[in-house]
Amino acid sequence: MEELLKLLNETCPGIDFAGSDALIDDGILDSLDIVTIVSALMDAYDVTISVDDLVPENFNSVGAMLSLIEGLQG
Amino acid sequence: MSFTSLSFLIFLGAVAAAYYLVPRRWQWGLLLLASYGFYCWGGGRTVAYLLFTTLTTYLAGLLLGKLNRRAKALPPEERKAGQARLRRGKRWAALGACLLNFGMLYLLKYWPFTAEVVESAAGISLYVPDLLMPVGVSYFIFQAVGYVIDCYRGKYEPERNVGKYALFLSFFPQVVQGPISRYDQLSPQLLGEHPLSWDNLKYGIQLAMWGYFKKLVIAERVGVMVNTVFASYWDYPGSILAAAVLGYSIQLYCDFSGGIDITRGAAQMLGIDLAENFRRPLFARSLTEFWRRWHITLGAWMRDYLFYPLALSKPFRRLGNFARRHFKGTVGKIFATSMATFVVYFVIGIWHGANFRYIAFGFYNGALITAGLLLEPFFVKLRQRLPIRWEGKGWHLVQMARTALIVFAGRYITRAPRLLAALYMLKETVVSFHPGRLLDGTLLTLGVTGFDYAVVVLGMAVVLGVEWYQERGGHARQWLERQNAFVQWLGIMVPLLAIILLGAVGQNYVGAEFIYAQF
Repeated sequence: MEELLKLLNETCPGIDFAGSDALIDDGILDSLDIVTIVSALMDAYDVTISVDDLVPENFNSVGAMLSLIEGLQG
Repeated sequence: MSFTSLSFLIFLGAVAAAYYLVPRRWQWGLLLLASYGFYCWGGGRTVAYLLFTTLTTYLAGLLLGKLNRRAKALPPEERKAGQARLRRGKRWAALGACLLNFGMLYLLKYWPFTAEVVESAAGISLYVPDLLMPVGVSYFIFQAVGYVIDCYRGKYEPERNVGKYALFLSFFPQVVQGPISRYDQLSPQLLGEHPLSWDNLKYGIQLAMWGYFKKLVIAERVGVMVNTVFASYWDYPGSILAAAVLGYSIQLYCDFSGGIDITRGAAQMLGIDLAENFRRPLFARSLTEFWRRWHITLGAWMRDYLFYPLALSKPFRRLGNFARRHFKGTVGKIFATSMATFVVYFVIGIWHGANFRYIAFGFYNGALITAGLLLEPFFVKLRQRLPIRWEGKGWHLVQMARTALIVFAGRYITRAPRLLAALYMLKETVVSFHPGRLLDGTLLTLGVTGFDYAVVVLGMAVVLGVEWYQERGGHARQWLERQNAFVQWLGIMVPLLAIILLGAVGQNYVGAEFIYAQF
């Protein structure tokens, strides 16, 4: 979790990732942020995130993103 | 049948009455009948295009659903090889449906322009069939392609009943100019059973009246002045040209958002909640935000079906890796995404039509937004050095004015008869403004009177006042609900009288089509 949080803060500085569980629903992250985050996650964790995974519930919180990565790593 | 014609009001009233009188299980069938009746009335034989899109995407959806089910049912030992084979089949099915429909759109909307360019550039004369443009073709094709891609992604099960699917694409309030709806949001509502709800009727009528007010009282009136100036733009100095472009900006907003209000109001009368297409774009503080508030369903379509697949595609990922290696900091990180953003805004530009003006319009928006993204680190540093309260209301107003100015400049491109005319008008506005001409009576020679200008200004003040209230979280129709009977009565009668007395209606009025209906 800490490692992921560090990566997210480096990728999109200025966003309070830890303090929100509605990052998409509240409009904190936009489509551009999502693509930047997805690219960073794919590089860092060696997983393939497809367009089908780009749903709000996978990116609303750091925990949700971690679950997505763990799910893809199998 | 135009939304502004008396025949539409009679049609809508008759459909609403029948809708609540027939047994509820027949409601969707009645809507399908009414929708095809509406389309044939306005579009005649062009209904064949709507049928073509309906049938091709319906069949593609069925095939994709079947392949998805087969993929899920594969035994574990065959899963990897089987899924790869089925994925290829799915790709062909989705690609086939997309190519057939986008091919048809290209033939109808872009082929004449292609032939013109090829002829002027290479002297080769290409055959251009004389085809009638179907009403709302860009809207129903985009909506249908969205459905196919969702079926490809396995987002939901495809519709098995062709009639129910046909209603999703042809629903009469939205078939002319959108919004571009999603199957999983709209179809359950269209197929659901709706008892008569006075609240829905009342709110629907109020919303449609608000739309008619914007269209008939403001847009139609200011449109006369805009048409006069653009018909002989070379006769006017920069200040009058700027006034005409401002008038066009008002006309376009009131025409399109008014049309969408009528659409959503008519749907709400039938108990159907259509997607929001505008969220007070005049309050946007950046061009990106403006496009998130203007024509929202087109932007959302582009995001889900073009931007995400493009930005996450292999070529763009490779471009991203290349950029990260060669450019330092934020630029390296967002370079590939910015390029995908540019492509999206470029496509949004040419979605509006096939000519050099829309290509330039797409380039204008794409270039500005991409430059803004890439220069963001520089702006961050600049903001840290300047002693300004960046979160204050004053700066917000400056940002709104800056955005309005950028959008305003873009309107020269879309309204001018040719691209060169737009550049000429922009140049005249800057180098030969002559502000005195705004006060020497020229404005009163453009087909509208001082009274008309007063109505437009007052009308826009009302629109902006309501939007300001909504921007602060208020709900205008619910506010009205809380007032006493007299105020509620005024709330209905004042806009109604304004539409009747000030709207462009009457014996000699020919209902003008909505600007976005031509796209």
